[in-house]
Formats: sequence, C-alpha cells, structure tokens
Amino acid sequence: MEPDGTGVWRDLVAKFNSSHPGAPVRLIEGPTATDTREDMYSTAFLARGSSYDIVYCDGIWIAKFAAAGWLADLTARLREDDRRDILPVELQAGEYEGKLYRMPAFTDAGVLYYRTDLVKEPPETFEELTRIARASQTGERWGYLWQGQQYEGLVTVFLEVLWGFGGDWIDSSSRKVLLDSREAVEAVTWLKGTIGTISPPAVTTYTEEATRNNFQNGRAVFLRNWPYVWTLINRRGGEMAANIGVAPPVHAEGEWSTSTLGGWGFAISRFSRDPDRAWQFVEFVTRPQQLREVQQRQGRIPSRRSMIPGRFLPILESARMRPAIPEYAQASDILQRWLSAALTGRVTAEEAVKGATRETWQLLKT
Amino acid sequence: MATAQDVKPVAQVRTSGEMGSHQWGLFGLPAAILLLLVVAYPIVRTVALSFSDMGLSNEFQMEWTGLGNFRRLFSDSRFASGLKATTVFTITSVTLEFVIGLGLALAASEFVRGRGLIRSIFLAPWTLPTAIIAVLWSWIFNDQYGIVNGLLQKAHLLESPIAWLGTPGTAMGVLVLADVWKTTPFVFVVLLAGLQSVPQDLYEAIEMDGGGMWPKFRYVTLPFLLPFLFIALIFRLIQAFAVFDLVYVMTGGGPGGATETVSVYSYRTYMRYLDIGYGSAQVVAMILILCIVAIAMYQLLVKRHERTF
Repeated sequence: MEPDGTGVWRDLVAKFNSSHPGAPVRLIEGPTATDTREDMYSTAFLARGSSYDIVYCDGIWIAKFAAAGWLADLTARLREDDRRDILPVELQAGEYEGKLYRMPAFTDAGVLYYRTDLVKEPPETFEELTRIARASQTGERWGYLWQGQQYEGLVTVFLEVLWGFGGDWIDSSSRKVLLDSREAVEAVTWLKGTIGTISPPAVTTYTEEATRNNFQNGRAVFLRNWPYVWTLINRRGGEMAANIGVAPPVHAEGEWSTSTLGGWGFAISRFSRDPDRAWQFVEFVTRPQQLREVQQRQGRIPSRRSMIPGRFLPILESARMRPAIPEYAQASDILQRWLSAALTGRVTAEEAVKGATRETWQLLKT
Repeated sequence: MATAQDVKPVAQVRTSGEMGSHQWGLFGLPAAILLLLVVAYPIVRTVALSFSDMGLSNEFQMEWTGLGNFRRLFSDSRFASGLKATTVFTITSVTLEFVIGLGLALAASEFVRGRGLIRSIFLAPWTLPTAIIAVLWSWIFNDQYGIVNGLLQKAHLLESPIAWLGTPGTAMGVLVLADVWKTTPFVFVVLLAGLQSVPQDLYEAIEMDGGGMWPKFRYVTLPFLLPFLFIALIFRLIQAFAVFDLVYVMTGGGPGGATETVSVYSYRTYMRYLDIGYGSAQVVAMILILCIVAIAMYQLLVKRHERTF
C-alpha cells in the first residue's frame, strides 16, 4: 500500500478484521514513490512469493503484471451493479486482453487550476492560457506550473498537451507507434516554450507537490495537477480556497480537451494462498461507505460515478488512459528521457519526437 | 579504535596463516560452502542468464540465445550513454577523493595526539547510509528551498535560483560532490593507516643524507603507501563504477538520462522492464570492464613499482 499518512487504511483494515472473522488482513506500507512500489511488488512476484495477497495497483501496471501472469482474474467476481456504477474508463484501465484484473477504487485525471481573482474566464486553448498567464504574472508570481521532472508525471502532462493538439502516442491494440507527427512536435515545442516565459526555469525539476506548494502559496496563476489539490486547498480554507477554480486541460483551436487518467484499485496476487479471503477484503474496501471515508480523509476521488463531485465528473468521464501494453514502463522511460532532453535544451523538439519514435518502435516491434 | 600499533600485526597473521594443506581443507570447508552459496551461485546464474532470453516477452522461460544480448548491448545508445555517465562519475569522484584524502591523511599523520578523534570525526559521513545522504544533498541543492541557492542569493551572487539537479552538467556535479563528501573519509582512513606503517627511522636516514620533503615522500612514504593506495583505489573504483543508490535517489538518472549510470539502467532493465536476460548481460559487461580496469591498475601501480623499488 501507499504510506498511510492519514491512518485511514489502518482504520479500514481494523474495521474489516473485526467485522469479518477469518485470517486477519495485515497492512504493509510501501514507499511514497509509486514506481518503487511497483518494483517492490515485482520483486515479490519474481520470487513467486505470496508476501502480498492484495496489490494496491496503479492502472499502468496492469498490462505488465497481467502479462507476466502475476494477477488473479477478477472478471467473474465483479458485481453487475458495481460494473454499472464504476467509471467505464476505470474498469477498462483494469483490464488486459478482455479480463478484469483490478477492482477500481479511486480515480484521477489531470485538471487545470486557476486563480478566480486573477482570471475571469478559464482558458480553453493553448494561446489563451499563454496570453492570460503573461498578463497576470508578476515578479513574484509565475503564470503556469506543471510537472517537468523526468518521471511518470511528465508523461501525463505531455499526453494532455499532445492529445490537445490532436496527436497520439501508442495504439494499445495494434501496438503501433503514432508519435512521429507534426502534432507531437507542436506539443513538445509548446511545453518547451512555457519554460522561462510563463513557467519558472526550475519547472523541469518539479513534481506534483512542488507545484502545489508554490501554487498554494500564491506563486502562480495556473497549475496543472490532480484533483487532490482541490481538497487540500479547501481544507486549509482562507482566502486561497475562495479564489480557486477548476477547468479541463487546454487544447489547440479546433481540438478537444483530454485529461490523462490516473487511478488506483485493488488486484489479487495469483500466488495468494487464500484468494477468496483477499477478494472479501477488496469487496469490503471498495464499498461506497469505505471509499467515502478515504475520500474525506485523503481527498481522493472514488471511481464510482455516484460519488464523484460534480465539478470533476465531466473531466473524469472524458479522461483517457495511457497505453495498456506490458512494456509500458519502458515506453514511458523512453518518452521521459527524450522529453526531458528536449525541455532542458539538449535536443530539438523534432529530434526528441524522432528519437522517441525510433526507440519505441524498436521496443514494440517484437 | 585501531592505532598505529594495531597495523603491524596484520602482517603477522598472514605469516602464521601458512598451515598444511590438509588443515586448510578442513577449516576452509564451511567458508567454501558459504562462498559457493552466496557468491558463486549468483555469479554463475547471472552469467548463464546473460546468454539467454528470459523475461516478460517469453513468460520467463530461459532460452539460450548465445551472444544475442551482447550484440544488442553494442547497438544500445542508452547503454553507451550510461557507460559514459558512469565513467565521468567514476573518474572525477575517485580523483577528487584521492587528492583530498591523501592531503588530509598527510596532514593528519603529523598530529600525534588527537589522531583518533580526527579520524572518528572525518569518518562520520562514511558511516551514514548512502540513500539518506542522497536525500540530504538533494535538499541542500533544491532550487526552491535549498540552502545553496539561499546563500548564493543572500550574497547577491545569484539573481534567480539555479535548478542544480535539473541540468545535466550541474546534476552530475552535485552527484560527484555528494560522493566525494561521503567516501573521501574512506580513502583518508586507509591512507592514514598506510602512513602510520612507515618506519620513522627511514625518514631519519633520509634526513641524515640531507634529503628534504620530496625525497622523503618519493622514496619512503610512497613505496610504503602503494599497497594501501592500490587497495583503496580498487575499492573506490568498483564502488563508484557500480554507483546506484546515490543516483537513483538524487536524480533518478535524469535530466534526460544524463546521469543514468549502468547500474541504474541494468536495474531498470531487469526489475522494471522484466527483461532479465538483457539486464544480466549488462551486469556481466560491467563486471568484465571492472576486471580489466582492476588488472590494469594492478599492473600499473603494484607490479611496475615492485620492480622500481
């Protein structure tokens, strides 16, 4: 599991163990970095160990874990009413080759936060965002913050820009690389163009929390981040909370806005000695009552449509998942390296797109 | 705490260790079994894996591919850039560590009293876990909250904060700095032990012959120091060449893969891409390179000087 900062998972596990007699479920907290947690599970799976019966699982791990044969098929266990309530894109993100491997719990999608006291109408296009950001930024306050460090977050940011220009990365079913396009070059060029003009030069070292802290301290007009920021800012209240608006990601003239889907759910290890008991817990913890408790204490948004706050529902419903291919981690690393090289000025946008395309193509051709 | 007197018995242990071969066999058995289990098996297995295809693409079946993985290494630009980053890191950090470490050791050997205290104080960074040191240094060089940018801005040397870990050159510089800070004490302690093993009467002999600082260093200190230099150098080269934790925590290999070392790449290939055969081949290639470097160092430092002195 993720580090249990709020203690909500501990409480839920205790609640389950006292209300469901049987082998007790034990909570194991992993590191904060999600790819380190991914490796933690991989290590256990590679040894075919049953150290973890239940895997708190990011959507982008599913294809790899399922293709490796490490996850139990949950297709038959999912209840019909749950299937109808859960966001279709979240269910899809838990599937591999037509089988369900992950029960969705929480959903995430990139959103654009803006300062309602500085911005009248949220921007819809890239040009509008740049124009408003330039007009509202001052010496103390940058225009636009996003996550530019070389890590998975950069891929989620880039995909929103790429999709916003009408381009695409990889087609999961045909395993074709679609990156080599004018749109991709435009997307890289646009992101690069924000650095030093509307985004601080250090944006290429930022992850989510660095951008949130800066935004929350009034040091930016726009922020690209996930829904949890809304909860955190509103919990603190005050002037800042009254002046925050949420909008979908911007796009090019004549294109659509698309968010990158994130999201967490529960999978069951194929090496588990008691998959029925594991499922009992997964089913318990993904009931609305339990999800609500996590929502209140952690700020996470449940993947059940009935529980999603109105302002986020349209953004989440139009969110897109990242390619569901077993080699996702590698494809993402290739993209991250080339993007990061382009953003720090070591290669041009064209070279980055060409290079990433070539390497991804080599990766997927077999 | 080891003192100058403790150093000499090491040589005695070695001589008293020459016992009959039948005794060796008996007493060596448990150690041999242990070594076979924890050292030989993993090495043999890694080498075997490096000649085969095993991973996500073939459901973890071990399939013999001969030199396939090694051929792939030669055309892999990411491996080449990893090798380059590793070499730059190793050469700069080890050079700095030896220059500073030798200087400190020469200075500290002049103290007769308080040497133990100096040694303990200098050794402190070496005792900390690297991952923690990596977090520490990445905060020191954080562009927003880091003390380096804060001080430079206070002193009006900087107008806007520098993203130290965000540009290739400075990121590598910070990595080297953190490594030098952590491991110079190791070099220092080893070389100090070497200096303390030099018999003082030899210096007196040179003085009587009218020799100054340089002849003393060249004809007395250096010959006695050489085996220590060699040991410290080999240790440091192996560790620096295999650097993982520092890079993984501080930069993750970024920006743009500029600081990704071979270890970080092979870890990712093996653990994240689940390309076990190819990941093993990278490790084997690294071991081969290290063996060559170690042998070259031995020839250069020890063999050649054994003849000269």
